[in-house]
Amino acid sequence: MADSREPPPLFNDDDDSRKDDDNDDLFTSAVQSPVSELTTPEDQTKQEGAGDPLTSPPPATSFPPDPSGGDRPDLFESCEEPSVGGFSSVPLEQPAEGGGTQQVSTDAQDPPPTPPTTPSVGSLVEIPLIVDTDQDLQPSTSSSSSLTRPDFTLFDTTPDTSETPVSSPDILSPPTTSNTSTSTTTSAQELSASPPSSSALLDLSMTLPQELSSEPPANLVDASSVEPAVMSSFITPAEEASVLDAAAPTNDDDDDAAAAAAIPTNLAGEDPALSSEEALVTVYDSETPEEVSLEDETDDGELFDPSSTPKLQLNQDPPLPASNILPPMGAPLTPPVAPITPTATPNLTPNVTPAAPTPVTPVAAARPSAEQLESESGDEFIEISISDPQKIGDGMSSYMAYKVTTKTNIPYFRKKHWSVTRRFSDFLGLHGKLVEKHLHSGRIIPPAPEKSAIGTTKIKLGSDKSSDSSSTDFIERRRASLERYMNRTAAHPTLRSDPDFREFIELDAELPRATQTSALSSAGVLRLFNRVGETVNKMTFKMDESDQWFEEKTQQIENLDAQLRKLHAAMEGLVAYRRELATSTASFAKSAAVLSSVEEHSALSRALHQLAESTERTHTIHHAQADADFYHLSETTKDYIHLIGAVKDVFHERVKTFQTWQHSQTMLAKKREAKAKAELAGRMDKVQQAQDEVAEWEAKVERSQEEFDRISRAIKKEMEQFDIVRVKDFKDMLVKYLEALMTSQQQIIKVWETFLPEARAIS
Amino acid sequence: MMDGMEEVLHSETNGTKSGRSDTVDLNDSTLQVDISDALSEREKVKFTVHTKTTLPDYNKPEFSVVRQHEEFIWLHDRFDENEDYAGYIIPPPPPRPDFDASREKLQKLGEGEGSMTKEEFNKMKQELEAEYLATFKKTVAMHEVFLTRLAQHPIFRTDHNFKVFLEYEQDLSVRTKNKKEKVEGLFRSINRSTDEILLAATQKDVDDYFEKEKGFLLEYHAAIKDSTLKADKMTQAHKTGVADSYIKLSTGLSQLGTIEGPRLEKFINKVSDTFEKARKVEGRVASDEDLKLSDTLRYYVRDGSAAKDLLYRRLRCLANYEQANKNLDRARAKNKDVHAAELAQQNACERFEHMSARAKEELNSFKTRRVAAFKKNLIELAELELKHAKAQAQLLKNCLQALQEE
Repeated sequence: MADSREPPPLFNDDDDSRKDDDNDDLFTSAVQSPVSELTTPEDQTKQEGAGDPLTSPPPATSFPPDPSGGDRPDLFESCEEPSVGGFSSVPLEQPAEGGGTQQVSTDAQDPPPTPPTTPSVGSLVEIPLIVDTDQDLQPSTSSSSSLTRPDFTLFDTTPDTSETPVSSPDILSPPTTSNTSTSTTTSAQELSASPPSSSALLDLSMTLPQELSSEPPANLVDASSVEPAVMSSFITPAEEASVLDAAAPTNDDDDDAAAAAAIPTNLAGEDPALSSEEALVTVYDSETPEEVSLEDETDDGELFDPSSTPKLQLNQDPPLPASNILPPMGAPLTPPVAPITPTATPNLTPNVTPAAPTPVTPVAAARPSAEQLESESGDEFIEISISDPQKIGDGMSSYMAYKVTTKTNIPYFRKKHWSVTRRFSDFLGLHGKLVEKHLHSGRIIPPAPEKSAIGTTKIKLGSDKSSDSSSTDFIERRRASLERYMNRTAAHPTLRSDPDFREFIELDAELPRATQTSALSSAGVLRLFNRVGETVNKMTFKMDESDQWFEEKTQQIENLDAQLRKLHAAMEGLVAYRRELATSTASFAKSAAVLSSVEEHSALSRALHQLAESTERTHTIHHAQADADFYHLSETTKDYIHLIGAVKDVFHERVKTFQTWQHSQTMLAKKREAKAKAELAGRMDKVQQAQDEVAEWEAKVERSQEEFDRISRAIKKEMEQFDIVRVKDFKDMLVKYLEALMTSQQQIIKVWETFLPEARAIS
Repeated sequence: MMDGMEEVLHSETNGTKSGRSDTVDLNDSTLQVDISDALSEREKVKFTVHTKTTLPDYNKPEFSVVRQHEEFIWLHDRFDENEDYAGYIIPPPPPRPDFDASREKLQKLGEGEGSMTKEEFNKMKQELEAEYLATFKKTVAMHEVFLTRLAQHPIFRTDHNFKVFLEYEQDLSVRTKNKKEKVEGLFRSINRSTDEILLAATQKDVDDYFEKEKGFLLEYHAAIKDSTLKADKMTQAHKTGVADSYIKLSTGLSQLGTIEGPRLEKFINKVSDTFEKARKVEGRVASDEDLKLSDTLRYYVRDGSAAKDLLYRRLRCLANYEQANKNLDRARAKNKDVHAAELAQQNACERFEHMSARAKEELNSFKTRRVAAFKKNLIELAELELKHAKAQAQLLKNCLQALQEE
């Protein structure tokens, strides 16, 4: 029986994502994997749709049928895929462009359906898009190249419109209504005028629905709750944006801006597709360049939009279909915000504070300090403990389930104290989702514990786990590492307010396992591909580092990595030796007991017996100390080795952005050359085309540069936080360890103090 | 490297000598022997045996000679082979100086020099040198103990060979056994051990005391041998395992501190220092356990084995005596050579009785000696363990305090 079963388990084990779960799905999942990480049926549809746009420019046909419900995934995916390709390789982008045009058409259709189904989501997405239109339709396009072309036209027009404050005060909510309204209205108009922009918007909107759809129905109901989370999660980036803008004068403005920025990022993060995210990101990047006032305004408007959105919908819907899209987008946002607002505002501030301390500090001096103080005051806390590991099921299909107990005072959680049951692969799934959403914005995602093929197989096959000390050790180690992982993630303000994270700790039901695991497996294969590609990339591409900070930091991280590995090896050695000492002490204790029973001199025999007992006790102490060595020192250090890996990933993400930028620049140079040639040749028809292309690539360069700046800033902030937390963790670790050592020594003192009189009593 | 060490050893042994001779010194000042100096030369260790005596047999009251390990073994064999001493526990011979383990480690360390930092390497080297020194001192101590036990024994101290060993200024020109002798020795020892087993199985002891002692010693020897092994393992794990990995930990941490920069450097350096100090303490704990516990056990493994030899010799003697009785009976029956047989039987009887009396004394003294030694060493062990644990606890406490102040 074991034989027949064994092959599948091994396979599973290789696959990090799946392991315990489904044996059957390996192959199917593998097929799915390359395309998208979500394995839900939608994904498949998406894949198909995505494939179409890429290969065949006239995919318009494919999209139209879907518009009402099915469209979203398709659109979404199409956006995603081009975007993904766009990062690494040019060729992908170009094909995607064709898809983009198609999408536009679909978008035109989509707007009507979207508002009713997922108004809130759509609204959220749209806002960022609007901002983009002001400057950055291009950025969004860059991410999803298909969208880009149409956007350019819009783009050109947009700056003008944005600058001209077309105020539709009615639409916008109280605070920044005028500005925002203008932006929105203008954008709406523009959108209406130019279908592509709208398509972009739609795509973004699509992403949100997908999220919702992917989440269990309960989530949909929770939509309001989710949204606040989104807001909070993205506050940090928003803050960044605001800080950078420097224009953000009042806290309110900042918050608003933050919220606005947050929304885009959220959408992006939620969407598997990089493109949407980038587009959103570009929104705040765009803010930085010149049009500070406008941007701020726009941000504010967005913020307000959410609150006022319902009104907006009503107001705007009538005018134009295209405009409808924009307003509805805003409108949906508002409903979630509005209900939340009382709660939401507190949420926002607290959320900001924890995250803020480190990330903000580098950028803006004034605000961060205040936030830091807040954070340090400990207004918020979240504490997650993992307990009660139990084996569920039998044989190879069995798995370990853990009780995840959360204690918190963060208001956006519905309770203060609750627990849910999760299996190991759920943790991996959570990590995968977080990486998808947040890695691209330069966030350091705490790595999940590694899978252990041997350990899990042993547990699965072991009929009675309690009898085997090695497997109980294994389970305890895994439990501890899961707990550390969860608390590390929860410590990150953005990650802890992520809807997936909250669902993970809050949803009192089984997570959608089947989809998730298959997604994981597919993600695993995808990851494998990516990893191979990236290592090649890393080896071949040497970035010409312009930022000294990054140069130093990269070096430091490399050194740290090497040193931590060395240290970890030393610690592992210490643990092993201490365990050996414990066992040899125990065997000496036994031997001494035998000796004492043989000894004929009664007093000496008694003393030897005491010696045996003393050494037995020191054995226990050594053993406990070995555990302390392991859990305090070795595991923490190992965690940090993995965390450094996550940091490297983030750095690499930046290098990739840099590459995109560089590529855009070379392309721009080429286009310019082509234009000059055409001019020389005097072929005016070609000059016009070349002119357009130059403009397109200029925009791309600008956008990718902004993108690069953004991720660089984000990483700096993240690193600041990482450094602070790391220093603190290490201090805590060492102090705790030294305390443990001291306790051991004190126990040893007691042991020998009791023994000494016995030795003296020998006569 | 070893050559350099010899210099160190030379002076070190001089330095510690006074302390050691104090413990050896007894009230009995008729013959005092100690090893005043030892020098390691290549494979050989030269011990300077210093003697102070009031015995009239000796030409001078105080003198020194240089002896090597082989000469100690020769001396032991002289006692062992002497029929007159059959009734005594012959002090166990000192173990052969064995620095192979240290040398091997040193070599390994040299090979692995590239894989560690200079600082780490130096610390490891120091550690090894200290270990080498400790083994060296222990070797010297064992040789000295052998001599002092002989010197304190009322019978052994008057032995001629012993006198020659102490007094003869020239090389004793003891050659190591040649092949033939070695084979003979091997043959004899096999012969003897089969005889021993045979006797143990067949020979019924007439004296319950000896029967009991024999049982005890057999069991005791096995038990203490096991304990020694385990204790050695324990100290080894403590020393080369835990203490040495503290070195790596300490240097690893301090390097990490350098990389981390000012925020953590000071903090980590303090911890690193603490680990470095803790390492020394742990190392001392290990070597003290080795000295007080393992060595005590080890010595009594050998002493117990010497006592077992005594019992064997007595048993052999008893067998001879009974054989003589049988011979006498047979001679009487045949009425032939009765006188010779009677004489032999009488001799054997006397011999056996004398030996039994001696052996009883010796065994009793063995017991008192053992109890006293264990008492002394166990007390010292406990005191040292306490001292080290307290020192380390204090060290950690100070460190924690310093860290908190930061």
